[in-house]
Amino acid sequence: MGGDSKFLGLLYISPYVIGLLVFTAIPFVYSFYLSFTDYPLMTAPVWVGLDNYLELFTSDRTFRKSLSVTLVYVFTTVPLKLVFALFIAVILNYRLKMINFFRTAYYVPSILGGSVAVAVLWRYIFAKAGVVNMALGFFGMDPINWFGDPNYALFIITLLRVWQFGSAMIIFLAALQSVDKSLYESAAIDGANKWQTFRSITLPLITPVIFFNLIMQTVQAFQEFNGPYIITNGTGSPLKSTYLLPLYIYDEAFKKFDMGYASAIAWVMFFIIMVLTLVAFWSSRRWVYYAGDKRS
Amino acid sequence: MTTTALSAIALETERTNRMTRRLQRISAAVRYLILAGVGLVMLYPLIWLIGASFKTNAEIFADPGFIPKEPTLNGYINGWKTSTPYTFATFFWNTFLIILPKTVGTAISATAVAYGFARFEFPFKKLFFATVIAILLLPNVVTRIPQYLLFRDLGWLDSFLPLWVPSALAGDAFFVFMLIQFLRAIPRDMEEAARVDGANTLQVLIFIVVPLLAPAIVSVCLFQIMWTMNDFLGPLIYISSVDKYPISLALKLSIDTTEAFDWNRILAMSVLALAPSLIIFFLAQKQFIEGISSGGVKG
Amino acid sequence: MAGLQIRNVEKVYGNKFKAVHGISLDVKDGEFMVLVGPSGCAKSTLLRMIAGLETITAGEISIGERVVNNLVPGKRGIAMVFQNYALYPHMKVFKNLSFGMRLQRRPRAEIESGIGHVSRLLEIEELLDRLPKQLSGGQAQRVAVGRAIIKKPEVFLFDEPLSNLDAKLRAAMRVRLTSLHKQLKQEGLSSTVVYVTHDQVEAMTMGDRICVMKDGRIMQVADPVTLYDRPENTFVAGFIGTPEMNLFSARLHKGASGASLEIGKQRMALDPSVMARLTLGDAGEVTAGIRPQHIAPAAAGASNTLEGRVSHVEFMGHEIYLHVVIADNAFIVVTQSAGFDRAKASEGAMHFTVAQDALHLFDPVSGKNISLGS
Repeated sequence: MGGDSKFLGLLYISPYVIGLLVFTAIPFVYSFYLSFTDYPLMTAPVWVGLDNYLELFTSDRTFRKSLSVTLVYVFTTVPLKLVFALFIAVILNYRLKMINFFRTAYYVPSILGGSVAVAVLWRYIFAKAGVVNMALGFFGMDPINWFGDPNYALFIITLLRVWQFGSAMIIFLAALQSVDKSLYESAAIDGANKWQTFRSITLPLITPVIFFNLIMQTVQAFQEFNGPYIITNGTGSPLKSTYLLPLYIYDEAFKKFDMGYASAIAWVMFFIIMVLTLVAFWSSRRWVYYAGDKRS
Repeated sequence: MTTTALSAIALETERTNRMTRRLQRISAAVRYLILAGVGLVMLYPLIWLIGASFKTNAEIFADPGFIPKEPTLNGYINGWKTSTPYTFATFFWNTFLIILPKTVGTAISATAVAYGFARFEFPFKKLFFATVIAILLLPNVVTRIPQYLLFRDLGWLDSFLPLWVPSALAGDAFFVFMLIQFLRAIPRDMEEAARVDGANTLQVLIFIVVPLLAPAIVSVCLFQIMWTMNDFLGPLIYISSVDKYPISLALKLSIDTTEAFDWNRILAMSVLALAPSLIIFFLAQKQFIEGISSGGVKG
Repeated sequence: MAGLQIRNVEKVYGNKFKAVHGISLDVKDGEFMVLVGPSGCAKSTLLRMIAGLETITAGEISIGERVVNNLVPGKRGIAMVFQNYALYPHMKVFKNLSFGMRLQRRPRAEIESGIGHVSRLLEIEELLDRLPKQLSGGQAQRVAVGRAIIKKPEVFLFDEPLSNLDAKLRAAMRVRLTSLHKQLKQEGLSSTVVYVTHDQVEAMTMGDRICVMKDGRIMQVADPVTLYDRPENTFVAGFIGTPEMNLFSARLHKGASGASLEIGKQRMALDPSVMARLTLGDAGEVTAGIRPQHIAPAAAGASNTLEGRVSHVEFMGHEIYLHVVIADNAFIVVTQSAGFDRAKASEGAMHFTVAQDALHLFDPVSGKNISLGS
């Protein structure tokens, strides 16, 4: 505006700029540096070049296990959660009377899901004599040793995440509700059935939201810590089948105080997330529909 | 046209209408069935948790139902005391001491920063805005170790400062982004009218923008409270004295040190830990839902 | 009490797009000046630069001898009524009106007497305790005007204030605003107004003077009558007046027996008075212009007429609009409906007489009117 200094805006965002520099930008660069050092916390960091990375990729079997567990976890959890969230959102999108009630009910787990208490609850529900096994027994099935069997343990962690589908669902629902109703009517007049309408009208129009959810959920899934840490007491048992990378980084950094090595693992993880994000952004041009530039 | 032909058409119409209505009713019933089924599976763990916390230890793993046969408050009586020298009251208070500055700081800083981004032109604006998006996608894991070192050098370890100061400097990009999106959807006329009325930019922020943005700011506060309540890794890294533990950490410690068969006590402590979140959520569910629906993606 | 001077003002967005090209305009004290033009002509940008809501790239704006370029909006001595009224949605009408005075920490008694005066003037006393969302469009409009008046500004700025009202209310508000302007003037209060609109009816009915703009440039500044009778260029000629002036290419001939205008294969002898008005040019290509009201079906046996074919007849009530093709040019002819013979028109060919004292000739390249005399 006339008469205002052009630095006024900078004044308003100054808290952010300070925070950005002190708590994000400098730590970001410093952690990259640390990943090339040996830093046992008590002494100063010693430059070791690529040693940490070489060790990670050549001799560290725990890392290989942890990385593969993490990838399996992310690539099962994210699709399951998103498909489920979209499915429920589509059902809720019809003019149902109790939509608000269901919306709220489904959102509760998202609010509580990250807490220690819910992870504890999970331990009870999937205990050998827990509710889930009791239910299986009711149907005549043998109880499953959920946390003792490497085939199931990670799946339980996945379920805990999928259970928190509420926030993704609400974002989907908001997008579905913003689709212009006349498009559905027009499609009906063109003779499209419900599935065709969904495939060729609804889905393309909500691709921006699918994209948003996909990215956010992926970044979050890579950082899963509370669930596996509390359920397995930080061990990632059985047989490291739930030993996700954040657990490994935590152990290296804050139990063994091997800051350099932990930084290297963090950077490998960051690199993977970045590549996946870039691939998503790059591919988005082909499948994400943008309705012009609404911002002026 | 003859009368018989007419009535045949009328009959046919009537039949189709009836069919349509029946199909609609069936499809609505199927939908409710799915929703109710899913809802039950979703909420049963929580319902069971609350019910089981009133059960005796003997009953917890004997019966999948949630209604206790011999209700007891033992779990709560023992749970409140925790297995530390402190009661739950201490841990609630600690959590409150983290939440208060963090939430107030977030609300003030995120609002001011969003206002700066949404309403002003200044040098390097695009660059700074790009960093907001970048932080949104940046996994915390990468910066956690240097942040720890920084707080150690500042002498902030075993204090609440590392847990709230970054947020009070608009460090949670999600909230800044959410408020920017909200603000962009609000026309500037009111603010311009206020400028013409003689208000400076700070007065515009306080008297016009904050009231208009109030619902969004409330959402931000609520989310921040919930996330702080659930935060476990932060306290795990930074807090080492038990008397400073927030709920999440205290719960973990109590579970680790409670004897393994004292189940109802652990469940009661879990319920206590969840209670504030549940209460806040049910009091303010509208703000949560609106916050997540409109803040995340619109604009 | 103050006028407004705009000197060579320019606006460039982001080093590239030039929205306003060196505009100069003087608004006298107490004058009602209307900025009018098609959308994108930068009339609103100019208004917002006066208000201080947009920065001024080059040039100078002064209000009452005081250069305001580097003053914030609140210090310029202006008040503004916005298109969407921009009432503060969370404040009741009373607070909306008093917001500016409260910022200045004026005494309570002064605020209350000010509000009393303004609310009587605009008949909004009943509304003081309402929130903006409880107001109708017309009421909100009046409150917005009240918020401007209460400040006793040196210059009032209006940004398309009537465009959100329905046609009936708009007509009523037009009258109301003009009489309000007169009243302020009589009370000896400052009443300089700059009023932006895209609606030329609003411009013609309300403005003491009208500034017609196009693409960030001023096309003509004049009072309504001058603008209508003596448009300086083809743009103003076409923009002002409904239906639009008929503009068509023609060829000007000068000969021993007098001058004539050649339109296609037809030729019309020109009165000497027309030739006397011409300021430029000899024989050659021109753009000719005649308002639909100044061309009429010829009386039987009249000479020096143009022949045209009626393609379409629009009955408007008191008048009839004839869509006519004369020598491949589309014309509109407005004629009285009383006594008009529709059957004859539908036969096709008709003859028309041009009122030559209302005939305009323009330079075909620059569009400048070359028939205004000296």
